Amino acid sequence: MTQVAQAMTAPLPVAGRGPEFSDTVRSEWTKMRTLRSTPITLAVTAFIVIGLSALITLAVVANQNRPETSARRNPLSIIQSGWGLGSLAFEVLGVLMVTNEYSSGLIAETLLATPRRLRVLLAKVSVFVVLVFVVAEVMSFINFFVGHAIISAYAPFPNVALSDHNVLRAVIGNGILAVLVGLIGLSLGAILRHTAGAITASVAVLFVLPLVLMALPTSWEQPVEEYWPTQAGSQLEEVTRQAHALTAWWGTGDLALFVLVLLVIAGYALVKRDA
Amino acid sequence: MVQGHERADCLIEVHNLTKRFGQKVAVDDLSFEVQPGAVTGFLGPNGAGKTTTLRLILGLAHPDKGTATINGTPYQRLRAPMREVGALLDAKAYHPGRKARNHLLALAQAGHIPRRRVDEVLGFVGLADVAGRKAGTFSLGMAQRLGIAAALLGDPGVLLFDEPVNGLDPEGILWVRTLMQSLAAQGRTVFVSSHLMSEMALTASHVILIGRGHLIADSSVEDLVKRSSGSFVRLRTPNDDLVAPRLVAAGANVQADGDGALMVSGLDQSAIGDIVFQAGVPVHELSLQEASLEEAFMELTRDDVEFHARHQPVAQAGAPQ
Repeated sequence: MTQVAQAMTAPLPVAGRGPEFSDTVRSEWTKMRTLRSTPITLAVTAFIVIGLSALITLAVVANQNRPETSARRNPLSIIQSGWGLGSLAFEVLGVLMVTNEYSSGLIAETLLATPRRLRVLLAKVSVFVVLVFVVAEVMSFINFFVGHAIISAYAPFPNVALSDHNVLRAVIGNGILAVLVGLIGLSLGAILRHTAGAITASVAVLFVLPLVLMALPTSWEQPVEEYWPTQAGSQLEEVTRQAHALTAWWGTGDLALFVLVLLVIAGYALVKRDA
Repeated sequence: MVQGHERADCLIEVHNLTKRFGQKVAVDDLSFEVQPGAVTGFLGPNGAGKTTTLRLILGLAHPDKGTATINGTPYQRLRAPMREVGALLDAKAYHPGRKARNHLLALAQAGHIPRRRVDEVLGFVGLADVAGRKAGTFSLGMAQRLGIAAALLGDPGVLLFDEPVNGLDPEGILWVRTLMQSLAAQGRTVFVSSHLMSEMALTASHVILIGRGHLIADSSVEDLVKRSSGSFVRLRTPNDDLVAPRLVAAGANVQADGDGALMVSGLDQSAIGDIVFQAGVPVHELSLQEASLEEAFMELTRDDVEFHARHQPVAQAGAPQ
């Protein structure tokens, strides 16, 4: 009783205002930064993406006189060859940001603190976008300069500079793509609420479905290649426009629209379903 | 916490609340009010719909019909929900990799509650020394305390606890009991669910009893005991055969309790005493046996337990159909 009574002697000041969106964002940022898995996941992702890119770049330029590599002369796409795997890592990070809460039961506490559920989703999206954009941009530039240095050491293999046509756009584009692809994971996490299911769906969207669709007859294959969101979005990483592909920005818009649709479904599911 | 705070309006109102999961009706047209200043027990057998009702009150689940409000407002529309309502549902509702203090900090920030409050509630529930430990390393008892700390963050006038003593050691149970009573004594509304009648008998002054999703009783604890028909007088004498016929003649119902005593109902203690005296038989025991809350509970919910144990002969169970 005395213990209880003591605690009651420290009055909580009367609330000046109710919680606002900024409070929800602050809370989501605290959740993100107080899990050790966040920096570990990001560091491992950076290490694998940059390391894999460097390894492939080295393998290609060191064997540049062999016939099987001589055809591959697009230096930027060689430098960025580790990013396919990077996309998957960002997708998983997005999935976990939501499914973690469902597997632990924390979602109930989250929604008790912030019963306005769309606000919770938007706060998660905000924190995720800023964090992943910053990390992925830093990664992308480090990745570029490492690759650039490796190619320089193996002249006369053609190299690229940031000042070349569309190269800066492509390097910055990596960060934008990481954010968009990560949001696919976050949305699927909110829709499916189970880690394994959402990661499986993410892999399907990113890798499996495009492959399956490409096995279709040619007349079907080309539009699929052109408009499938992750395929279309990846044009942002390319310096030159490919055959049967949207332009970089139309392709990015295609991906962004897909992400937006998924987020709307996620928001609807979050609001309508029992938590 | 808050002193002299006006808590007179801190009440929970539930009207015609109904919730179905497929064909199964989990909460069936339930209506009740929970008043401030007392611990109200929310009782029912396992599967009666207690947790679902609490989740409906807290806006975590959507009702098919009816309303649940706190101080007249549905939970989702409360301006500062954590300052009005605190809830402990699932004790382990935290990420196991997050430190206890950070878990509470994230919740406090979401509710626009000052950071210093986190350490206050941690000290209050006795977790100050382990605040820097990952919550995943906590025992169930510590997890319950962390959940209670989270519920108290906003110093709310309405508190809901779902099975708060489940898995606690005796010391922890005593602590929770004392806490709930002192919170109620401060004028707060304290609504505690349990499937253990004995626990509520010690803690609550009012009970809302449900079975299979519908209301069975909404009364004070004493009334609930009186309502049940289980009271009788235990009479122990060396000469039952002399006394029993006289008691029956006086209109009593007499049964042997199998322990050498008689269970007499239908007459009060003094009438029974007079009859035994007239029979000239010595009395070894003459005591009023009031039905416990537990028995009242069993009796009232007998038909509302979702799963009855089946008494089937073993041989038959294994026989081919």
